[in-house]
Formats: sequence, structure tokens, C-alpha cells
Amino acid sequence: MRYGMLIDLERCIGCNACTVTCKQKNATPPQTFWSRVTTTEIGEYPDCRRFFLPTLCNHCENAACERVCPTGATYTREDGIVLVDKDKCIGCRMCMAACPYGARTFNFGDNTTYFPEFEEETPYGKSHEGAFVVGTVSKCIFCSDRVDEGNPLSACAQACPTKARVFGDLDDPDSEVSKGIREMAARPLMEEYGTKPCVYYVGYKGGE
Amino acid sequence: MENVVSSGGAAPARTTGNAPQKKFSKAAIAVAAVLTAVGVGCWIYQLMIGLQMTGMTNVNSWGAYIVMFMFFVGLSAGGLIVASSAHVFNIEAFKKVALPAVILSTVCICLAGLFVLIDLGGFAKVWRLLTGPNLTSPLMWDVLVITCYLVINILDIVWIRKGDEAKVAKLSYVALPVAILVHSVTAWIFGLQIARTWYTAIMAPIFVASACDSGLALLLIVLMVLQAKGLFTTGTELFEKLAKLLAVFVAVDAYFIFCELLTMGYPGGSEATALAIMATGETAPFFWFEMIGGLLIPFLILAVAKNRSKRGLVAAASILIVLGVFCKRIWLLLTAFSTPYATAMPGFESDALAQAALSTTGVGAFYVPTGLELLVVVGVLALGCLAFMLLCNGLMGKGGKSN
Repeated sequence: MRYGMLIDLERCIGCNACTVTCKQKNATPPQTFWSRVTTTEIGEYPDCRRFFLPTLCNHCENAACERVCPTGATYTREDGIVLVDKDKCIGCRMCMAACPYGARTFNFGDNTTYFPEFEEETPYGKSHEGAFVVGTVSKCIFCSDRVDEGNPLSACAQACPTKARVFGDLDDPDSEVSKGIREMAARPLMEEYGTKPCVYYVGYKGGE
Repeated sequence: MENVVSSGGAAPARTTGNAPQKKFSKAAIAVAAVLTAVGVGCWIYQLMIGLQMTGMTNVNSWGAYIVMFMFFVGLSAGGLIVASSAHVFNIEAFKKVALPAVILSTVCICLAGLFVLIDLGGFAKVWRLLTGPNLTSPLMWDVLVITCYLVINILDIVWIRKGDEAKVAKLSYVALPVAILVHSVTAWIFGLQIARTWYTAIMAPIFVASACDSGLALLLIVLMVLQAKGLFTTGTELFEKLAKLLAVFVAVDAYFIFCELLTMGYPGGSEATALAIMATGETAPFFWFEMIGGLLIPFLILAVAKNRSKRGLVAAASILIVLGVFCKRIWLLLTAFSTPYATAMPGFESDALAQAALSTTGVGAFYVPTGLELLVVVGVLALGCLAFMLLCNGLMGKGGKSN
């Protein structure tokens, strides 16, 4: 069992539904983006187009962040999901120096809420109370909470209107994600660092 | 033999019998104490509001505290390397400066440790290092080696004070490799990170070389201060010997750095981008100060035998070397954060664009420390001066009198 994701860049329309739904589901504070989409332009007028690249934690099999964590706060579950135990995280930011994908965000203690005008925490905020601790690092959890509830479908994959994202078990050769990776010859980003990322992409060339 | 070791304490009584002052003054100690208190106050404020007090960001996730950490581990290792070489290589003359060298080394390593603790976002959870150590983390190695190193330093002071030559000699055989290791491990915190420009095998040798030159330079400065205060006298011959050794250390440091720069620039890839940032970008002032002010000028001064007998020139060269290595810590750390660690890919034709796509907050946000952050740094430095002055007054001043 090893959860992974396939992102088809040919299908991505850059709508940022994944970005927003991730924020809604996980209640990430301002300036913390576990899932995000970057837009750029390729080519030159008149032969040009916009190109979108959605990114998130790659849940590497050979995770650089896990190896350097002095307290073992970053760990890999049996199903391959890499998580941060915020009770163990001492905020040394070693993992941020190690991660080749810039997937981690540190909580500097500012920008903790979207609703500074409310003195009390909103009901929504309360439901996620304690999820973000000042002085610790956070990152995409591959919706491990949903996996634990027996619903292995990440919020970003669920919300994607063009089905650009497929979430599933990489170890199962018959899963949709495994088939897709095989058939479309998908590759992870920056494989040369050897971290064995579990997020695969197709359509690097941006549909030229 | 006992006399040789304890001469650190005995010398002032003999040579400066007519000097009015044999201790660091109360005024100097008071100033240091006040600055320390200000620093502690700022640090408590940081504990309250989080690291938003500093200039650090998600792009530049390590700043002044880590610069100072690298700097002080180096200053410390240099002192102990000189002190323990005295016994390991049986350099009789160096044994004389062993006590001030080890006191300096002890103070510096404590400061280095403090800077790491201050840098932590979750200081209250620091005990997790003891209950759940991850032995594959270079940071964990550093915790272990620095602890070991501190114990060695303290034992060294105790045994040198007792005049227990045999034990000091034995300890030196452990102290020398540990002193080299302590700075190598610090280098590996950075040098083992695949995605950063720090990722180079020469990182540890560079750190050891710069530890030797900055540590010895600081020792020479301190020896001159101690002599001015009448706490300790370094013979002219020994002083010139140490200055000559310093010239060699500077040359070795420069050579290692040259090897690294050539390797970075020659292939012309992404490492060359980092070199360009160092040579012409944000970290250029620090880079060039070190190249010219920290390596070239001091070497030219110290390479001439005549100059080594002039204390003023040696002092100037030493100060330049310490400042140069300080600048090196800055460019070494910050260049890596300014350099895109992503590689260009179709759609993102430059490294910087690829970086902007991958990282949470993009690239190029150069770090500038905040005032409060600098006050914490000043506070820790003041604490170091305070500890050093009190230790010297206690261990050397009284020793001189009683002898």
C-alpha cells in the first residue's frame, strides 16, 4: 500500500479549485498553501499559451525531510503518507532546508486567522483547533484523515473539475492511478534528486 | 611539567607585578550584563509571539541565529584545536596558551548551542531531542558531538588548572578529533542537503579550515586583550609562531574555497547561478569582503616575517580574519536560500521560474534581520563576553595572585 497521485497537466485548466478546497478542508492559515497552482506563459506571441503547474507535497518514498528531522516528528506511515507530528516538532526547520520541493511551511506566529475581526474563533476554526501550532512546520497530509475514515480520496482530487488529479494506491497495478502512470508514462518532478516522489505528472511540455 | 601547564596562571604575577589592574573591570562586566538582559528580554518576546519577530521567511528559513551558530562553532573548534595540538604534536610552546584557549573555546561552544536553541520555533519541546532522537539527522549528530565537546572542554579546564599534565595530554588525543568533528558535523547539517548549493563534499573541510583560522585569530586577539589587562603574558616568540601558523591556516582556507568556487562555476549550470549571486548579487558584499579583507590582505600581512613581530599588524590581520569568516558564514548560508533549487523544465524555462512554481513563496526574497532579532544576537554576544571575563577573572586572575 503506497498512496500516490497522478496529475495530468493536459487536463489542468488552472482554476485553483484544488487550492481552495484544500484550504477549506484542512483549514490552513493565511499564506500556508499545502496545495497550489502556478501559472506561467510559454511560447511567444502569437504562438503562446498559459501553462499551469499544480504542486503539493510529493510524499517521497525516500523522504529527505524525514531523514534530517532530529526528533522524528516527520514520519512515513505504512501506507506511504509522510506526516508531521506537531507535538514532536521543535521547529528547527531542518526539513525545510532538506525538501527539494519547497513543500513545507513554517508557522511564524503571524497570519494565524482569516477572520481577525472576530474576537472568538469561528465555529469552523474551532473544528480545526490545535491543527496549526505556532513554531512548527506543516505540509500536505494527502488527506490521511479521510484515508483513515475509509474514504481514500484527497480533497483536491475530488474537487478537480477536469479530473486532472487521480489519487490512489501505487502498489496496486490495477488501480486507476497506477494504470494512468503506466499508460501515459508519467514521471515525477525533479527525479534527479533521488527522493522517489509519489506524485507523478504527465504533459510537462505544456501541450505544445 | 606541572609548571609549564600552570604557567598560564602564574605568568601574570611574575611579569606584571607593577600593573595596576589584573582583572576585567566591573564597568565592563556591568555593560555586558545589561546588554545580556536586553537580549534575554527580546528572546522572551520572541517566545511569546513566535519567529515572526525575526526577518526569516518560508523562503529564507534560517537567518542570523544560524549564521552565528556556524560562526561560533568555528571560533570554538579553532581554540581547542590549537590547545590540543600542543600535546598531540608535542609543541611545547603552545601549551602555554592552553588555558586561555580552552576557556575561549568553552565560551564559544556554549554560545553556538544557545543560538541553535534560540532559533527553535518550539523551544518548550526541546526535550524531544532526548526522548525521541532520530540518529539519521545531522542536527542530532551535532547535539551529541557538541555535548561531548563541551564536556571535554570543561574537563580540560579543570585538569589544566590542577596541573594534571598526564590527564590533559591523554584528553588532547580525544579533544583534537572531536574538535575537528564538531565543525564537520556542523558543515554536514548544510552539506548533506541534496537540493541546496551547500551540497558539496568540501563543505566539512572548508568549515574546519575556517574554524582553524578564525579560532586562532580570535585567540590572538584575546591573548592581546589579556596581556593589556595584565591577566596573561604571551611571549613574543610564541606570539610570532602562532601568527605564522595563522598565515598557513588562512592559505589552506583560501585554497579550499577556491576549489569549491571553481567546481561551482566551471560547468556553468545551476551552481553557476549561485556563484553569480555571490559575486554580483545580494551576498556579494559579504563574499568580496571575505575574499579580499578576510583572506588576501591578512595573508599578505602575516606572510611577511617582519610584520608578525608587530602586534598592531597581527591584531589588524586577526580582526580582519574573524570578520572575514563571519562574512563567509553569511554568504554561505544565505546564497543557498537566494538560489533556486528547482531545475528548469518545459513550461518553466529558468530555474527561478521553476522555483516559483514549486515553492510556497517563490524565490529571491532576500533575508534582512529585524532590529529585535539583532538585539537577541547582541545579547548572546554580551553573555559570551560576560562569561569569558568572569571565567578569566576567576581562573586566571586569582591563580596569578595565589601563585
